[in-house]
Amino acid sequence: MVQGLILAIYDDEANLALLEEADLDAPTADLIAQSASIDILGRQGNLVPEEELEEGNLLTEVWFRIEAPDVDGNQVDGWASESRIRVREEAEDGTPIMGTVRRRLGSNADPLTSVFSEPNEKSEVVGQLEARTEVQIQDLATLEVWFLVSGEHEGQAVEGWAPSRFIQIFEDEVTGRVDRGNTGEFTTEFIEKMVNDRFFWPAVRSTAILMLIIIPTQFVLAIVMALVIQAQLRFNSFILYIFAIPLGVSDLAVGILWFAIFTQNGLLNSFLQTVGAIDTPSAWLTADSRNWILVAIWLAEVWRATSIVMVIVVSGLQAISNEVLEAAEVFGANLWQRLRYVILPLLRPSLQVALILRTILAFQVFAVVIALSGGDVVTVLANESYRQYFELRNTNVAAAYAFFILILSMFTSVIYLRAVRTQEEVAA
Amino acid sequence: MTTIDPNTPQVSPEVLAVHKKAIRQQKIRRGLTYALAGVICLWIIVPIFFIFSMAFTTQETVRSYPKGFLPFIPFSTETMTFFLNSDGIVPGLINSVLVAVITLVLSTLIAAPAGYAISRYIFPGRNFFRLSILAVRAFPIVVLSIPLAVMFIQLGFFDSIYSLSLMHTALALPTTVLVIGSVFASIPYELEEAAQVFGCTPFQAFRHVVLPLVLPGIAASGLFTFVMSWNEVFAASILTIQNRTLPAQVLFALSNSSEAYQFAGGFFLLIPSLLFMFFIRNYLFNMWGQVSK
Repeated sequence: MVQGLILAIYDDEANLALLEEADLDAPTADLIAQSASIDILGRQGNLVPEEELEEGNLLTEVWFRIEAPDVDGNQVDGWASESRIRVREEAEDGTPIMGTVRRRLGSNADPLTSVFSEPNEKSEVVGQLEARTEVQIQDLATLEVWFLVSGEHEGQAVEGWAPSRFIQIFEDEVTGRVDRGNTGEFTTEFIEKMVNDRFFWPAVRSTAILMLIIIPTQFVLAIVMALVIQAQLRFNSFILYIFAIPLGVSDLAVGILWFAIFTQNGLLNSFLQTVGAIDTPSAWLTADSRNWILVAIWLAEVWRATSIVMVIVVSGLQAISNEVLEAAEVFGANLWQRLRYVILPLLRPSLQVALILRTILAFQVFAVVIALSGGDVVTVLANESYRQYFELRNTNVAAAYAFFILILSMFTSVIYLRAVRTQEEVAA
Repeated sequence: MTTIDPNTPQVSPEVLAVHKKAIRQQKIRRGLTYALAGVICLWIIVPIFFIFSMAFTTQETVRSYPKGFLPFIPFSTETMTFFLNSDGIVPGLINSVLVAVITLVLSTLIAAPAGYAISRYIFPGRNFFRLSILAVRAFPIVVLSIPLAVMFIQLGFFDSIYSLSLMHTALALPTTVLVIGSVFASIPYELEEAAQVFGCTPFQAFRHVVLPLVLPGIAASGLFTFVMSWNEVFAASILTIQNRTLPAQVLFALSNSSEAYQFAGGFFLLIPSLLFMFFIRNYLFNMWGQVSK
């Protein structure tokens, strides 16, 4: 729950921390926003734990531990970057065992190659090698490249070191952008993304329309069904079984069920054609017949979810004492009057609960919409949450949708509760 | 001499007429109620019967148009066989049953003592406990699934039938606790006391007196949990990738599958409801009536 809220309003990759030195323990110098443009000022390799090497976007360089005679003729043992050594001999499994020091190009380059005590250019230099010196390769280490970058953040120039996994370098190798951040920040970005999504307002609209047409129909039908059950007909138990079947049907199955009826060569067209009402099958479930899709969803949801309202209403009816009903009958109230002035007022608490439950559940329906409309001609909020998570891999926006649904559910529940309380207060 | 038969009270013709009229009206009303019941039953049964006939016919019939009238659709197991042999259906079926059974066992094990406690004991915070149970019901699946998916990924617990079972247990628990609580509440505590008076330990009293009486109710709630878990699509689609349950698999394949596959799948998903509702129909009011109290 709380995490859902956090997902919706907290971006844990909003900013990248730029460190003062190329070292994970170094203090943070500045922050820079995700996808900001940067200039690359320098690079350096740093050891990384082996399991992190699997991470994507990691730029690595390899260092060799070498043994060779240095300029002064002393045997030195230390580390040098792979880029400085040409491998001449490899073991059968590809491990390099021998190489030579590369020549430095350029007129004013230092002709000597430094050997470091550790696989790090910042470490102590243990010796200098001449070009073409033969070296024995003892070991190798994989380093992640860190970049010294500069850019702009909130109007300020910022500069610092960051590991390559967060950075994308462009082809010219001196500019790039921040690929993802590692420091979180509260943001309305996801909520904005949700609201600006082209499916958001259609989803809100059809959710509202469906709610408005489904729930009243459902309650009327449910009360009728409950009265039928309460009439204790001969096959009451069987009737109850039939009435209860939709209670255990998923919204996916019900979507398919009504798809079979409304699809172009489905039951409805077959029926209409057989009785001669149409000559060619009409297409009910296409982008051009949006309203028919809504009708199909309406019927499917009324078919499926009325049973649960009926069960709650029957429980409520059972709690009404027979004397009250008989008294009403004795005084000559007809069915409508009994319903209007006796049964419905006494049922109010049950209807209340049913209303809240139905509304909350109605916000969650999505598979029926996918089955009947493919999920984009007509869409609802829960379907958008599913789509954002499942198809677009946008967990945060999906969470924003989910949270929007939660707020709507709570909001409507509170309104229902308020509505009843004021009525009771008026009565008192 | 006239004898007054006590069995045929003297009534005036007017009263008789009124009486007759009332009886006739009642008969009409009864007849209308039957008709109404019949119509509503048809409204529920006809779509089911249609999808059944589509699930058990030839693929050619599924594609044909117009389909002809309901009972005249040829019977064949071709579509259903085709569906069951499609990719991922058998594993999905196994996963669905496993998840539903684990959910059923877990939620009953947790809910039975909880239901007993809220029906038998008055303890501090009892009302708060009941309310918080209801509050969990009010959290939409949609809201719970996404953070849970993220959490499961972080814990390395993602895409497994066990994590999905945990999710379904959380979804089913509120209802199960309340239902089992109401089942216990319908057994008078005096029965237990009487057993204890006759020398049973509290445990024996529970085992030999209460348990046999509540078992059918608990079984019904278990079946309902099974159906709920079997039907659940949203969390199942979000929390699994490789180990999809049947509804998640059908939903995933829906957009690029033939109508034969869809119809057979739709009917297949209906089967548990058709079977189990028969056994639990009389407990439904126990279950959902409780929610409104």
